[in-house]
Amino acid sequence: MKMRTKLVSMLSIAVFAAPLTSYSAQGNAENGKKIYDKRCVWCHGEEGAGDGPAAERVNPAPRDFTSGMYKIKTTPFDEVSPKDEDIFRMISDGMPDSSMPPWKDMLSEQERWDLVAYLKKFAGLENPKKELDFSKQVKTSAESIERGKKLFLDRCAECHGETGKGVSIKKLKDDLGFRTWPRNFTKPWTFRASNDPKDIFARMSVGIPGTQMPSFADPSSKKKLSDEERWDVANYVVSLADSTKEVRAENTVVKASRIEGELPSEPGDPKWMEAEPSTFLLVPQIIGQERFFTPSNNSITSRAYYNDKDISILIEWDDRTASAPGDPKAAEIAEGEVSADAVAVQFPVTIPLEMEKPYFGHGDAAWPINIWYWNTGEAGASQVTKLLNATGFAKKDERDAAKAGLVTKGVYDKGTWRVVMKRPLVTGEKDKDIQFVEGRFTPIAFAAWDGTNGEKGSKHTMTTWYWILLKPKVGMSVYFIPLIVAGLVVGAELLWLASARKKKSS
Amino acid sequence: MKLPKLLQAVLVVVAVYIAFKLVFSVGLQQPIPSSLLTMYMFFVVVATLLVTTATEESAKEMSGPIKALVEDPSKKTIRNIVFVLVPLLAGWMTYSNLRPSFEAPVELRTIHPAPPGSMKAFGKSYDLAKLENPFRKYQKEDPEKFKALVKEGGAVYYKNCHYCHGDKLDGQGQYAQGFNPLPLNFQDIGTIAQLQESFLFWRIATGGPGLPKEATPWLSAMPVWKDFLTEDEIWKVILFLYDYTGQAPRSWAAH
Repeated sequence: MKMRTKLVSMLSIAVFAAPLTSYSAQGNAENGKKIYDKRCVWCHGEEGAGDGPAAERVNPAPRDFTSGMYKIKTTPFDEVSPKDEDIFRMISDGMPDSSMPPWKDMLSEQERWDLVAYLKKFAGLENPKKELDFSKQVKTSAESIERGKKLFLDRCAECHGETGKGVSIKKLKDDLGFRTWPRNFTKPWTFRASNDPKDIFARMSVGIPGTQMPSFADPSSKKKLSDEERWDVANYVVSLADSTKEVRAENTVVKASRIEGELPSEPGDPKWMEAEPSTFLLVPQIIGQERFFTPSNNSITSRAYYNDKDISILIEWDDRTASAPGDPKAAEIAEGEVSADAVAVQFPVTIPLEMEKPYFGHGDAAWPINIWYWNTGEAGASQVTKLLNATGFAKKDERDAAKAGLVTKGVYDKGTWRVVMKRPLVTGEKDKDIQFVEGRFTPIAFAAWDGTNGEKGSKHTMTTWYWILLKPKVGMSVYFIPLIVAGLVVGAELLWLASARKKKSS
Repeated sequence: MKLPKLLQAVLVVVAVYIAFKLVFSVGLQQPIPSSLLTMYMFFVVVATLLVTTATEESAKEMSGPIKALVEDPSKKTIRNIVFVLVPLLAGWMTYSNLRPSFEAPVELRTIHPAPPGSMKAFGKSYDLAKLENPFRKYQKEDPEKFKALVKEGGAVYYKNCHYCHGDKLDGQGQYAQGFNPLPLNFQDIGTIAQLQESFLFWRIATGGPGLPKEATPWLSAMPVWKDFLTEDEIWKVILFLYDYTGQAPRSWAAH
C-alpha cells in the first residue's frame, strides 16, 4: 500500500515535470481578459500597449505586450517568442526594483495561466520553436570567477563599468526611446529576474530584447562567448554582490564609535572600513511639490565616528555618473540639463526627549531642522558646502557653514560617491544647530541627487527618519555594580542560613 | 499526582512568559519590547502570589519547600546549587539592565485615530459626522455610471497611490519599505472595511500632517492630497479602494 502511494506520487511528479508543448493550452484567454481588465490595465493599458494611466509615472515603464518583445525569456536570441513559462514566471514572481508585483499570492495558478494565454494574443505570439541551450553549467570556483573577470572586463565593462556598478560611458536607450541604465551587479536584489547563475547565463545568451543588452551567443557577433565562457562570466557577476549595500529592515541606527585622537576626514581613509555600515532605502520624493518618479539610485550607506570634540559622518552611494554642470562628458550622458550630484543629511535642531520629532519633510514651525548639504560644484570649481535651517518644504534659510565648523569633502571613485561631513559636537549657536550628546538616539534622514538623471531641487531621492547614536564608552560601573548586587544576595543568603541554624539549635 | 504548589506557581509564570513571547513574535510578527514585558511579568508574578497565598494553608504550602531548603540538612546539595545560582542570576539581570542598548527606541502609535468633528479643505468646512460620498448613491441608482466612476478612481490610484499602497492594494508598493510607519494594507479587513468613507476622505485630504499627535504625524509619508487632487478625485479613489478589495464602507445606515 505504502509502496503504491509512493509510486503514484512519483508518477504525478514526473507528469508535472515533463515539458508540455504548450502551457497556454491550459489557459483560458477569455478568463484571462477578465483578470487583465481588473488587475493589469492600470499600467499595461486596455489594449496591452503599456499605456495605462500609471505608465508615465512608473520606473521602469510597463511592458508593451503588442510589441511581442519580452525582456526576460529563455528562448534563443533569434527566436522572438518567449516560452509560456517565462511569462508565467514574471507574473508569478514579479520583478524586483520595479512596480511589477508578484501575483502568486493573489491569483491562482490557473488564473495566471489564463493571463498568459490572453497576453500572447496582443502580439499574436506563436509558440517558440527553439529552447535556450544551457549546455553544462560550470560550477563556481576561484578559477572560473577569475576567467569570468577577464572576459567581463573585455566584453561587459563598456556599459557595466570595470567594477560592475554600471558606470556609464554612453547614453543607453531602449527601442521605445526610454532611458535605460546598465544593471549595478553589486546589488543583486535589484535584478529583474534573479542572480542565480542560470538567470545571468540566460540574459547573456539571449540578450535583453528591446534594449541595448546584446546576445553573447550570437555567432555573427564579434563579442560572442562560448557556453563555458558565459558560465564563467555569470559566476563572476554573482561574486560581485556587496552585502553592505543591502537594506535590512531591522537596521535603523547609524552607530558612531568613539575614538581617541583625530577623526578620519578623507573619504578614502581606510579607517572607515572598520566602522559598522548602515544602509537605508532611498525612495524618490513623491510627497511634496514638485514630485519625482524616475530615480536612478535606491540605497545609501552611512558610517560615523566621534571623539571628544567632533563628529565625522561618511555617506556612500552608487551613482553611475559623476555630474558637474559644465562638464562636457557629463552632458553627453545626461538626461537633459546636467545638475550637480549632491547629498544632504537632516537633523532636528533639538534632540527630542519624547517620541515627538520634526515632520520628516524638512520639519515644521515648532520643530526646525538642520540640513548639512554637499554638492560637487561646477566643473573645474570647488565643491560646495551649505548649512541650512528649515521649518517645512521650501522654507529654508542658508547659514554660515564655516562659522558652525561644518566641513565636507566628496570623492567619486568607479561608480561610488563617498562624502565626509564633519562638525564639532557642539557649536556657538545652540538655538540653531544640533548639539550632539553621547548615548542619545538622534533622528537623521538622508537625501541624494543624481545630476545626470534630471535630479534637482525637490526632484531627488530621500529616506525617512532613522537614528544616529554616539555609542557611549562603557564605563567600569557596568561590571562593578552587578558584582556588588551578587555579593549582597550572597550576604543575605548567609544571614538567612545562620538564623535558621540558630533557630534550630535553640 | 498533585504538583507541589510552588512548582505550580513557577510553571504558571513561565507559561505566561512564553505565551507573551509567542503572541508577539508569531502572532503580531514583532518582538515584544523588553520594558513592556518586564511590566507585564511584574503583574503576572504579583497576581500568581496573591492567588497561591490566599489562605494561610496555601501560603504555608508555598513557603514550605523554601523553608525546607534552608533548614533541612538532607537538602544540602540542592541548597548549595540554588544559593550559587540566585546571586549569579541577580548579577546578570543587573548587568543586562545597565548595559547600554544600541537598539532603536520603540515608537508606538495609533493607526486609526479618532477623527476631528470637522475639517477644512477646498475652501469649505466639512462636518465629518454627516459627510457622505456623493457618488455612493450611483451604486444602486445607475450601476453603469458607478462603474465608470470606479474606473476614474482607479486611474487616480495608479497615478498617485500605488508607489506605497501597492499595485494589489496590499500596502507593498515599490517604495513601501522606505517608510515608517508602513503604508496601510487595504486588503486587510481590519482597515478600510472598519472605516466610514468620511474617515478616508479626511485621511486622504489632510495626509500625514493632518494626523493628531498620538498617530505620529511627523513620521507619516502620506502626502496632503488636497494639494494635488480635486474633491471629486478623492471621492472617486475611495470608491475604487472599496470596489477593488470587495469591501464595503462602514455606514450608519447599516446599523
